[in-house]
This record gives sequence, structure tokens and C-alpha cells, in this order.
Amino acid sequence: MKLLTCPLNGQRNISEFTYGGEYHPMPDPHSTDARQWAEYVFFHDNAAGLVTEWWCHTASSFWFLAERNTISDQIIRTFEASEIFNQRIDFAENPQ
Amino acid sequence: MAELKPDQAARRSPLYRRHQALNAQFEMVGDALLVSRYGDTSMEPRLAISLGLADLSTLPRTGFKGAGAPKWAASQSVQLPEQPNTAVTQPDGSLIAKLSHQELLIVSDVEAKSSLVTRLNQHKLPAATYSLPRADSHSWLAVTGLLAAEMFSKICGVDLRTHKFAQGQIAQTSVAKINAVIVRHDLGTTPCFYIFSDITSTEFLWDCLLDAMEEHQGVTIGVAAIRSLAAGE
Repeated sequence: MKLLTCPLNGQRNISEFTYGGEYHPMPDPHSTDARQWAEYVFFHDNAAGLVTEWWCHTASSFWFLAERNTISDQIIRTFEASEIFNQRIDFAENPQ
Repeated sequence: MAELKPDQAARRSPLYRRHQALNAQFEMVGDALLVSRYGDTSMEPRLAISLGLADLSTLPRTGFKGAGAPKWAASQSVQLPEQPNTAVTQPDGSLIAKLSHQELLIVSDVEAKSSLVTRLNQHKLPAATYSLPRADSHSWLAVTGLLAAEMFSKICGVDLRTHKFAQGQIAQTSVAKINAVIVRHDLGTTPCFYIFSDITSTEFLWDCLLDAMEEHQGVTIGVAAIRSLAAGE
């Protein structure tokens, strides 16, 4: 069985995890056009090489990020999402 | 005294049919109806030291989550675990488990004497602190005994041997393919593991545990045996 290290729960069998897709930085929702936004939401690069991906430890519903080499399937590192998402983002044009 | 039946209590366990099929005798513990013992055996406390399985699903429990939850909980005159995936027993016997930086699970003591769950549930919560009721979402089982870790090794990927998995430690993992929160909470000197898992799968998990326990002669136990272990008898 493959093993993956959850930043919260430690090393676990891969069967305890769910893949959540590629991570890409979000474009500014106030200045992006529809095409860019659609690419961000729906399109994936499917790159061969080092990628950053969302993974979820399903037993604890804990989402985190993993850097993985898609050629060798080697996990380089896993880290908490708070490393990137460290401030609140308001989507409303004029947040109340 | 009239015999207590599961449908006489405000809440009945998802396992009540299993208990009735095993000739369980019930008792009231606080407001909760629990299995006191199965059949008329007086052997349960002794067998539970080796390997026992109890259903505590009708006892009080709750949870809180959110960015404001740690600060709010710290102001509630309780002892909080410092690290995620650890639990601390309170002076009144209840247990506070920290499941992540921003999530707490609070469970009653097995005698339901603690009022902590009720007290916290009645609070008006501050901003970014959310109630996470656990009584209807999660079942609560207890596996007791010296052979518990060996039994778990068949259905769980985490090493729960007592020298690897300390008192108060938590594993959020898969047990018999069911997502579960396992908390080590010894009863006296007997190892005990609480299991909290999705309430809709309780009967499946109960059957899987009994199946895994069979080769070790594990038995179902009632709260009388739990009480006896906790008292170190």
C-alpha cells in the first residue's frame, strides 16, 4: 500500500485519502475575465513533473497540499493549506 | 422492578436490536439508557480485562469548531489539550479531545455525572465559533482489554499498542473501512479505546468488531463492567 503523510494526522495508508485536483493560485476575482476564471475553475494543466495538488484525509476531513512528481509518483512534501491561505478573501465587490 | 426497554428512553442506541438479541439488561445512567450487562453472566468484568466491546452511544457528547473556537474554549474554565489529536480528562471525568487546531470534541464521563456537555451546549457562541453536535452524528463504542490493540491490528492501519499509542492520544483513521476517531482512555489499569464513527454505519462496525474479536474470545460488555474496570476491581 502506498503511504502519504497528512500534516495533521501523520503517515497513513493512501486509501484514507481523497485526491482533490491540482492547486493553482486564484486570479483576482475582481479583475479577472470570464475566460481566465473558467480556466482556473475547470481546466487542469495535467503536467508531467512537479505539481502541487489538493488532498483530503477523509477520516478527519482535513484538506492539505502536496507537492508530487507525476513522473516518479514521489511525494516531495505535504503541508497545511494555511501556509498559502493565510488571509481572508472577500468575494463581494463591496464587502460589508 | 420493571424491566427497562430501549423504547422507554428519550434516546435509543442504533444498536438496540443487537442488544435485545443478546438478552441485554438495561439501566438508566443519568438520562441515558445503557446496557448494564448481557444475559445473567457475572463474568463480564473479568472478561473485559482481556477483550470487551461496549456501546456508549446514548451518553452526552458535543463539539465545537471554527477560528474562534480555541479562544472561546479557553475561557470556559476547562483543561484543553495543547496538541491536535490529543485528549485531556477533566476533573469531573468528562473528556475534551482536540481533533485539529480549530476543532474540539467533548464527551461525558461514563456515569453521566459531568454537566460539561450540557453547559457548553447552552452557551451563546461568539463569532467564528460553531456548534458541532455529535450525539446524532456519531456512535460511541468502547473496546477494552489487554488484547484490544492486537484485535485492532486486523482492521485498522494505525499501531495502537500501548507502548506506541499513549493514554490520551487520538487517531483519526479507518476502522474496518469506516472513518473513525479513536481515543485511548484507559479504565483504571485496563487499556480502553473509545471509537466515534458515523452513526449510520454503527451496526456494520459493531459486527466487524465482534468478528475481529472472536479469535481472542472477546465479549460484549455493559456499563457495569466498565464501572468495575474504572474502579480497578
